[in-house]
Amino acid sequence: MRFFTATVLGLLAPSLCAATSLTTPSRLDLASNFKPPQVFKNTNLVRNTNLEKGYVRETINVVVENVDSQPQRDYYVPFPDEVFELVGGFEVRDKKAPEKGRFDVDATEAVSSSGNQYFVVHLPEPLAPKSQITLGISYSVLSSLSPLPATIGQADKQYLSYSFSAYTPSAYTTVTQKTKLKFPSTDVPDYTTTEGLKSGSDPERKGATYTYGPYDTAKVAPGTEYPVSVRYQFTKPVITVNLLERDLEVSHWGGNLATEERYWLRNNGSQLTNQFSRVDWTFTNYQKAPTSAVRELTYPLQPGSVDPYFVDDIGNVSTSRYRPSKGKNNANLELKPRYPIFGGWNYSFKIGWNNELSSFLRRAAGVDSDSYVLKVPLIEGPKMAEGIQYERVVVRVVLPEGSHNVRFETLEGANSNGLPGANHISASLSSLQTYMDTLGRTTLTLEVDSLTDEARDATIVVTYDHTMFDALRKPFTLFAGMVTVFVAAWGVGKIDISIKKR
Amino acid sequence: MAPSSLDVLLKGSSGRNTRGLLRVIILVTIAAAAVSSRLFSVIRFESIIHEFDPWFNFRATKYLVENGFYSFWDWFDDRTWHPLGRVTGGTLYPGLMVTSGIIYHVLLLLTIPVDIRNVCVLLAPGFSGLTALAMYLLTSEMSTSPSAGLLAAAFMGITPGYISRSVAGSYDNEAIAIFLLVFTFYLWIKAVKNGSIMWGALTALFYGYMVSAWGGYVFITNLIPLHVFVLLCMGRYSSRVYISYTTWYALGTLGSMQIPFVGFLPIRNSDHMSALGVFGLIQLVAFADFIRSYLPGKQFQKLLTSMILLTVGLGLGGLVLLSVSGVIAPWSGRFYSLWDTGYAKVHIPIIASVSEHQPTAWPAFFFDLNFLIWLFPAGVFMCFQKLKDEHVFVVIYSVLASYFAGVMVRLMLTLTPIVCVAAALALSAILDNFLVASTPSPTAESKAKASTEDKSLRSTREPVVGIYSYLSKAVVTGSVTLYLLLFVAHCTWVTSNAYSSPSVVLASKLPDGSQFIIDDYREAYYWLRQNTPDNAKIMSWWDYGYQIGGMADRPTLVDNNTWNNTHIATVGKAMSSREEVSYPILRQHDVDYVLVVFGGLLGYSGDDLNKFLWMVRIAEGIWPDEVKERDYFTARGEYRVDEEATPAMKNSLMYKMSYHNYQSLFPAGQAMDRVRGTKLPKESPQLNTLEEAFTSENWIVRLYKVKDLDNLGRDHSHAVAFDKGLKRKRATKHKGPRVLRTE
Repeated sequence: MRFFTATVLGLLAPSLCAATSLTTPSRLDLASNFKPPQVFKNTNLVRNTNLEKGYVRETINVVVENVDSQPQRDYYVPFPDEVFELVGGFEVRDKKAPEKGRFDVDATEAVSSSGNQYFVVHLPEPLAPKSQITLGISYSVLSSLSPLPATIGQADKQYLSYSFSAYTPSAYTTVTQKTKLKFPSTDVPDYTTTEGLKSGSDPERKGATYTYGPYDTAKVAPGTEYPVSVRYQFTKPVITVNLLERDLEVSHWGGNLATEERYWLRNNGSQLTNQFSRVDWTFTNYQKAPTSAVRELTYPLQPGSVDPYFVDDIGNVSTSRYRPSKGKNNANLELKPRYPIFGGWNYSFKIGWNNELSSFLRRAAGVDSDSYVLKVPLIEGPKMAEGIQYERVVVRVVLPEGSHNVRFETLEGANSNGLPGANHISASLSSLQTYMDTLGRTTLTLEVDSLTDEARDATIVVTYDHTMFDALRKPFTLFAGMVTVFVAAWGVGKIDISIKKR
Repeated sequence: MAPSSLDVLLKGSSGRNTRGLLRVIILVTIAAAAVSSRLFSVIRFESIIHEFDPWFNFRATKYLVENGFYSFWDWFDDRTWHPLGRVTGGTLYPGLMVTSGIIYHVLLLLTIPVDIRNVCVLLAPGFSGLTALAMYLLTSEMSTSPSAGLLAAAFMGITPGYISRSVAGSYDNEAIAIFLLVFTFYLWIKAVKNGSIMWGALTALFYGYMVSAWGGYVFITNLIPLHVFVLLCMGRYSSRVYISYTTWYALGTLGSMQIPFVGFLPIRNSDHMSALGVFGLIQLVAFADFIRSYLPGKQFQKLLTSMILLTVGLGLGGLVLLSVSGVIAPWSGRFYSLWDTGYAKVHIPIIASVSEHQPTAWPAFFFDLNFLIWLFPAGVFMCFQKLKDEHVFVVIYSVLASYFAGVMVRLMLTLTPIVCVAAALALSAILDNFLVASTPSPTAESKAKASTEDKSLRSTREPVVGIYSYLSKAVVTGSVTLYLLLFVAHCTWVTSNAYSSPSVVLASKLPDGSQFIIDDYREAYYWLRQNTPDNAKIMSWWDYGYQIGGMADRPTLVDNNTWNNTHIATVGKAMSSREEVSYPILRQHDVDYVLVVFGGLLGYSGDDLNKFLWMVRIAEGIWPDEVKERDYFTARGEYRVDEEATPAMKNSLMYKMSYHNYQSLFPAGQAMDRVRGTKLPKESPQLNTLEEAFTSENWIVRLYKVKDLDNLGRDHSHAVAFDKGLKRKRATKHKGPRVLRTE
């Protein structure tokens, strides 16, 4: 019995060590009449707007010059506050040296006087007066495409409309600028033609690329808008994931990395004018005609993924196929929802699979080290030509029981990984009790808003400490528990409760 | 004194220890076999709740787990029987849900994360393992042979008669009730044998559990008194019987009254009166027995006869009087249909429309019990040979259960345990005699027999000597082994082919032999769940009510609870009437969607058109003037859906919803209904007041949205005609169209 108490006391002793790198995103509070100081000038600005997917992806390349007498380092990028919340994966790099990584960016609260909200870009080195830097600003805007007409027939083509300003919103005076729009096809029935902004026809059309500008806007005050809208064919679903919950469970004992993802999916395309007709759908399917409904989701999995499942609230979805990987190729999970998802329809489901842990985890420096490094994709998600937008993503990394000193970082490459800066990812530690845990497993929860499937390649690295004692805790607990049960049973059996005299 | 089963396991010298260990191992293996033979559907399909009623039980269990016990007890469900609602907490047997709730919470306490669905799916197999153990205990009480109990346990474990109701996913009351039934009987036999208050109280405890779990508890309520009554009539009154019966009755009745659904039934309902009567009788007998010790024999006989006559007369008279005056409720309809198989069809079509309430076909006995059914009479005969108190019980149980199993298919379930007991008794007697390798010595045998069996019947007083010929031993043993092997093969085959289909998911084979799953039900239910407002009311025939509640999570008008016949008849009327009649009904009941099941494309025969006559019949029971079954048959009395269908048929909402737009799937004039095997009319029927909202992939489930009132105040048929560009007929105006009254 003494042994048991000792074990229990031993089990309760270590506590979770708070890691240092955990953040909750905060926003700078600006004065209500704040205006960005006019210390910069955009000498040249080119905006590329990509409309090929179900969301807007914009890349702005801008040559910025310091017109102040002091060196400056804070560059403000404004967005109207209703758009600000929809902006995802905001990233700024030095266009000339993208491999140096992204610049630090802070978000601000809305400024009531202008209705703008800003991203404050902190240049790594203050920009000297009169000198220039070329910034590459990239971000995506979610849910900004609206289907027009809002309701269509089941087999009709779907059109989306996108409204923006021909003058790229900027906090600073821009000398010349232009906007290139890339459409998914040449079928663009409606687009605004500007008048008096430049000589010649505006926009210039070249295949599926439309160019507004270049405009000479040196005299135009910053913040001036020239509304433009385009309407183009997009007979594909506008796949929106309202919420993605992704659990990664690390098991040292089982040598297994279990992944489970729960999707709340919606098609934000045109809704059906009439109700769904199975006859029409049968014919559409038979002809393999393009449709605004989600027919199937293709989900590439890492090589070596096993035991995939695809279930929803009422059980297994029998209409899926798994094509395991051959050699180094990705495995493919082909998910066919129970019914085609037309505009305005929802579908929620759950998928999961297992991986060999050894391809994701290694001990940090040295065999005897108690420190581990886990390298996993932040999100994976189906890979669709029409793109997927995630309004909210919650990733939980469930580490083994007793793990402590947990830290994480996102991996950066030369190109954008579709993620916002690390300070825009909310991270927290908690503990999850499952499978006969005593302490609970250390769980790192990461929450990101407004992601797109650009972030499919983003990888996170989680480091944590996990000692031999932590690993042996569960066997000891089970053993102690069993001993207690047996001893108790033996003790109860010894008690004589008979009334009659012996 | 024969060693009791528990003693065999726990006490004795090392030889017996070994046998005890073997016995434990065999029992565990049997339990494992019982569990695993029920997992066909989980392995072939998935861990899914089957059929219809289990979906309600599952939903109720989820409610219990989410909201706690007290709110479950007081649960008023406004998502069924719209707009009436159902006092669910007070109208169900909570035993099943509470059992799985407890298991779930215990697992949670051990921090083993488990889905409540998996607990529910695997509850029935788990309990059937326990049933096998209980069966071992019960049979061991009946026989001194060490093998009888094990055989009975093995039989019970795999016999299809029980598997039919306890495969994984068949989350119904029977799942735990059969275990409780067998175990209660075991405790009862134990109580009668020992005359112990403890065993009597345990019987009452498990009886109470049984009452909380299944309506079939009435079987115990009547069987135990009958056993006691027969014992009394045989002159076998003893203080053992008195103690056990009075203990059981007093505690058991109190226990059963704790269930809200049962409430005061045990003292007011005719079904329970025999238990009360026997309770009174046994008091009198005990009193008489007491008197006898003080009175000389002759006088006592007279006193006894007169007393019995008097009390029986008084008791019967009182019972009749109370029944007539209404204090005691008359027999329930289901009870009547037990005695008169035609009763339900005439008076309560809703009971007759359920297939499991039909009388049993004779082959079903062999199908469900295989060779046990012909060993059964032999076993009962052997009980007559010994005829101790417990054997009387077996005899009574056999007679009653045989009758009931013949009357109603589902009562095969109550017959199965006793068949296993009797068959095991018979088979163990054969094996015990024929499996002895050594040649018996007549003198020793006769001495042994003479000393022990001096009290039994004359036929058994002859010395039993045994078998000398090795040939006959080999032949008999061999054939028994063959039968046993055939039995196992048969059970596996039946379980695999007949009882392991979830019926929510249909399986078929592709030409290359791979499995093709038809998942239309869940497709449509999930569509409802995801893409309709949370409180959209769904009207469907009552069969699908529980599934809609469970899978689509939407309010329904009627479900499988069938407590309100009028409401069901209303739905039947809406389905079987013309649109002009149905539409006001739909509006008045706030119906948003109508669900029909149509098997015509796939040849799925369990569809609504095949059930249609029951809807008509049930509606006719309430509105004989408006719905007439005859109108749906052609002049020659045929039930047709093709060109020659009657106008009532063609205009009925059900017909229109089933075939709406179906013809456009085929080349003109080629539309076929593959269930009824007929060619359909060229034109598909015109629906005016409903519009197709969703049809599943194989057309099994079709959902229709009820149109709102026309914006321009037109009749729906006119609006549709206008949209189609038809000219409005003048004639209808003079007659005056049927006015739609909606509120």
